[in-house]
Amino acid sequence: MKQLRETFAHDTWVMPYLRKYKGLLILVLFLGFMTFFSGGALMFNSGYLISEAARRPSSIIYIYVPVVLARAFGIARPVFRYIERLTSHNWVLRIVSDFRKKLYQTVERKATTIQRSHQTGDILSILADDIDHIENLYLRTVFPMVIGWLLYLFVVIGIGCLNWVVSLLLVLLLGIIVIIMPLASVATNGVREFRQHQIQHEFYTNLTDEVLGLGDWLISGRYHDFMKLQEKPIKAIAALRRKDHFYQWWRSFFVQVLVLLSVLVLLIWSGQSLTGSKAAADWIAAFALAIFPAVSPFLNMSQGMSEWPVYQRSIKRVNQLDQNQPREVPQEKLSGNFEALKIDHLTFKYPDGDRKVVNDISMTVRSGEKVALLGPSGTGKSTLLKLMVGDLTPTAGKVMINGMPVSALQKNRAELFGILDQQPYLFDTTVMNNVRLGNINASDDDVKKAIEAVGLKSLIESLPEQYETHVQEAGRRFSGGERQRLSLARILLQDAPIIILDEPTVSLDPITERRLLDQVFALLKDKTIIWVTHHLAGIKHVDQVRFLEAGRFDMQGTPETLYQTEARFRQLYDLDRGKSVSNN
Amino acid sequence: MIDKRLLAMPGMRRYLGILGILVFIQAVSIIFQARSLSVAIVNLWNLEPLKTIFWPTVIFAAAFLSRHLLTVAENRVFFPFVEKTSGHLREQLMAKIFHLGPAEIEKQGTGNIVTMALEGIDKVQTYLMLVIIKILDMSITPWLILLYVLFLRWEQAIFLFIIFPVIILFMIILGLAAQSKADRQYEGYQRLSNHFVDTLRGLSTLKQLGLSKRYADNVFKVSESYRKETMSTLKIALTSTFALDFFTTLSIAVVAVFLGFDLLDGKVMLLPALTILVLAPEYFLPIRNFANDYHATLNGKNALSAVLEILGEPEMKQTKVLKDFTWQPDTTLELDKVSYTYPKAEKPALKDLSVTIKGMKKIGIIGASGSGKSTLINLIGGFLAPDEKNRIKINGNELPHLNQQAWQKNFLYIPQNPYLFHATLAENIAFYVDHATPEAINNAVKRAGLAAWVKTLPDGLDTMIGEGARTVSGGQAQRIALARAFLDPDRRVLLFDEPTAHLDIETEAALKQDILPVFDNHLVFFATHRLHWIGEMDYVLVIDHGRIVEQGTPAELTAKNGEYVKLRSEMGATE
Repeated sequence: MKQLRETFAHDTWVMPYLRKYKGLLILVLFLGFMTFFSGGALMFNSGYLISEAARRPSSIIYIYVPVVLARAFGIARPVFRYIERLTSHNWVLRIVSDFRKKLYQTVERKATTIQRSHQTGDILSILADDIDHIENLYLRTVFPMVIGWLLYLFVVIGIGCLNWVVSLLLVLLLGIIVIIMPLASVATNGVREFRQHQIQHEFYTNLTDEVLGLGDWLISGRYHDFMKLQEKPIKAIAALRRKDHFYQWWRSFFVQVLVLLSVLVLLIWSGQSLTGSKAAADWIAAFALAIFPAVSPFLNMSQGMSEWPVYQRSIKRVNQLDQNQPREVPQEKLSGNFEALKIDHLTFKYPDGDRKVVNDISMTVRSGEKVALLGPSGTGKSTLLKLMVGDLTPTAGKVMINGMPVSALQKNRAELFGILDQQPYLFDTTVMNNVRLGNINASDDDVKKAIEAVGLKSLIESLPEQYETHVQEAGRRFSGGERQRLSLARILLQDAPIIILDEPTVSLDPITERRLLDQVFALLKDKTIIWVTHHLAGIKHVDQVRFLEAGRFDMQGTPETLYQTEARFRQLYDLDRGKSVSNN
Repeated sequence: MIDKRLLAMPGMRRYLGILGILVFIQAVSIIFQARSLSVAIVNLWNLEPLKTIFWPTVIFAAAFLSRHLLTVAENRVFFPFVEKTSGHLREQLMAKIFHLGPAEIEKQGTGNIVTMALEGIDKVQTYLMLVIIKILDMSITPWLILLYVLFLRWEQAIFLFIIFPVIILFMIILGLAAQSKADRQYEGYQRLSNHFVDTLRGLSTLKQLGLSKRYADNVFKVSESYRKETMSTLKIALTSTFALDFFTTLSIAVVAVFLGFDLLDGKVMLLPALTILVLAPEYFLPIRNFANDYHATLNGKNALSAVLEILGEPEMKQTKVLKDFTWQPDTTLELDKVSYTYPKAEKPALKDLSVTIKGMKKIGIIGASGSGKSTLINLIGGFLAPDEKNRIKINGNELPHLNQQAWQKNFLYIPQNPYLFHATLAENIAFYVDHATPEAINNAVKRAGLAAWVKTLPDGLDTMIGEGARTVSGGQAQRIALARAFLDPDRRVLLFDEPTAHLDIETEAALKQDILPVFDNHLVFFATHRLHWIGEMDYVLVIDHGRIVEQGTPAELTAKNGEYVKLRSEMGATE
């Protein structure tokens, strides 16, 4: 109970929606209740019907009402059930739409524009799974539990009207099934679930490790080691699963024993109090037959409830998302054209890090300048970019555009910065739609012009569906170079004054790389370009090269001066162009 | 109805026998339970005293308990078999993964394989556990009950008997209707449900383009249209369950009404009538249970098919044709018109490659991307088998392919991103060597240029690296692979596949200084499109569209002024 309260203490994901769609929720619960009620009533009525008929009353009139009712309940049950299932799915899917929007908005606030890999994307799919879990929480746990409890109340109150002692006994017996056992299941299963999650995670990491390193395993010939590595987690999972199964089987059996006791209580009670007259005795069969369908929704309540730990984890995770939302800064609009980007004694340290990733850097990039940034991985290149565009807030120092802090220009950032990164994302829609994202007010002709500018016109027009071709998941339809060029077309439409290039050619071969870079610099010759690159191909295009080393600049100048004055630069440049140099 | 592949599982028939007996006893218990309950009720209905129902109630309770104990017993008896079978399946799958090798597994998708070994086998287990017992239940229990009802009153038995196929017929018809509608919608449907993940993954791009805020409404709208589509499919999909529900429930009502009329006419006594009424729901219970778990069984069935499909993938046989040997200065490797075609591909990826290599050479493999460089490396590594056998010779021995254990003991493969295991740094370096001494490892670390970095690590060589542990930069990963080569002097053949293309130029320059010494006294295959490496090679293969268009020493090729020179200038070389 305590953990239940903890889970929902700052909940913005479950409770608000229960309130929002209250009407439909009540309908779902009503229909669910009616389904089981009709099932019980059918047997109740049938029991009475044949008992009464067996008295051989003089006229059919005496059993007329039960005959009609039997058919009515017989039809009502499946109809209620059908509508209930439709309504509950509809309800849940409605909530899912809200969830998705909410999740999107929450994640959007934190998302950064400079991103090196799609790994974060995997975390996001976990979150998408969490939403599915919450969906199941309703369908598999909340609805059956509440409907079960409603039915429980109905049964014990109904019997209570006839005899409160019997009712009290049933409160106890059935109460164990619908309240105590689900709670006990959560307690036992919570621990087990946690353990299982751990082992499964271990197994999963081990296995991924093995499969990704398969080449090494194969060449090393370590077949037995390979097989042995999985033995432990497999055994552990099997043992847990075995326990879990045994627990479930015996739990179901125990529930049945309680059902049996309830039937016996009813039987003895009716034997004592309903055998006074023939008319009363006709009800005995009714009660005895109705009890089985009436308790049927109780049988799976423990199982539904024991899935709670899984849902709980999901609820906690999505609720955590709401915390640590970034502080909002009052936004302004840049007046006039872009003149200069000024970085002033900029220092940055990650909150949990111990070293300054960017250490007291200053530089000014004027309109139209082209700057290349180089440096080994981990020297703060991408952090510097994040600071420039305002994804990160500096620990000290400032980033200014035309003298205004970049943090105040976030709202219209897309009008300032165009970004081409390592793996630009193409959405699973048409080429036309993808390129138009650069400027959604662009006409079809504008889009086509942009595609022509990046040299993809003939390729796209040679495809059967031309501009309406679907790029498929993550742009699989096109090669790496083509994807980069489509994104470049997007940037042309976006028409922002500052272009950030974040290693756009890292996964391309040198020929494609050269062509892309020539094209980028030709098309964007009027723009200001800040280019992070890993080697020196195309370096002739820039006015300024800066090498970052441990958060500081250590070599800078035009490519020509550097080549003449810096031996190290000359060496690297020659290496890149394939001139054989030897240092030894 | 029963999956034939299940019957083929070893030991399955014996368990079917045992379970069949248990289910049979269970069905008898159900009849006893119904009969004794009815007796008790009829006694009370006749206004007889409570003590007359003592024995019927005892029998009822015993039958009831026996029935549910038998459920536990069936599961208990069957579970070890299921556990063993699915465990065995998982083992087979792992062994298969090992034998298929990385090229094949990559084709299947790493995530796919991992999910299959983990969740797929779990689903198979659930499937086995559910389906066998349910099918037995469905094929024994209703018929035994029917037989008993027939003995009580044949009219009702006939009615119950006829309604059964009607239910199944309707379920099939409606199921098919729903299926075809679902199939038609599936594509659009799938796209809609993927849309959300797609949007989240592209979020940073949306943010770059300044569209991210506006997109929230789009997310909602797409989700809503997904809901509407789903609902219209569900409306039909659920009719199949509705049919089952409708016919079973209504049949019970009909039985009750008919029994009522018959009782009224005195054609039947209360006891048999009541027994039939109690048994009617039991008659339908097995099929309802089966339908309830239909989706779980369907998932399991598909998972089983997927696993069996992988197990059925052909693997390279004859991996021991080559006798143990060590690559020596006079050893030869000969490729004679070797071709390779990817499965389902129209054109071969490699066509008629002929080359002879002797001793310790440095062989550069160059070509534009997509020309077949990596395929050639995979062929030499034995991860792929050539289209025709016996076109490869080592020391004159004809080999079907290079997936030879004796060959594997001779080479090391260093790809663009060497895989680092979730293990200590020392374990990663000594992956290929049994019982490497700490001195040997330290020496390899020094020669690979890792010593300075190792000193900065909190636990030195015992630091955990790999997934979920300390991250290692691309340059250091290459050096770890290099240390593996230094540690194992018996592996004289090195296969490099673009080891430095993705590194920044300074790291690359530094790494090159440490890679060059390992070339000495080794046969090196080096696929690359970085120009500076080509200068270090003794011999170059120029590949274009799967063919070797030129081969020779760099000097020869430069003099020839052909493909080699053309490729170099396209790559931006300054001579």
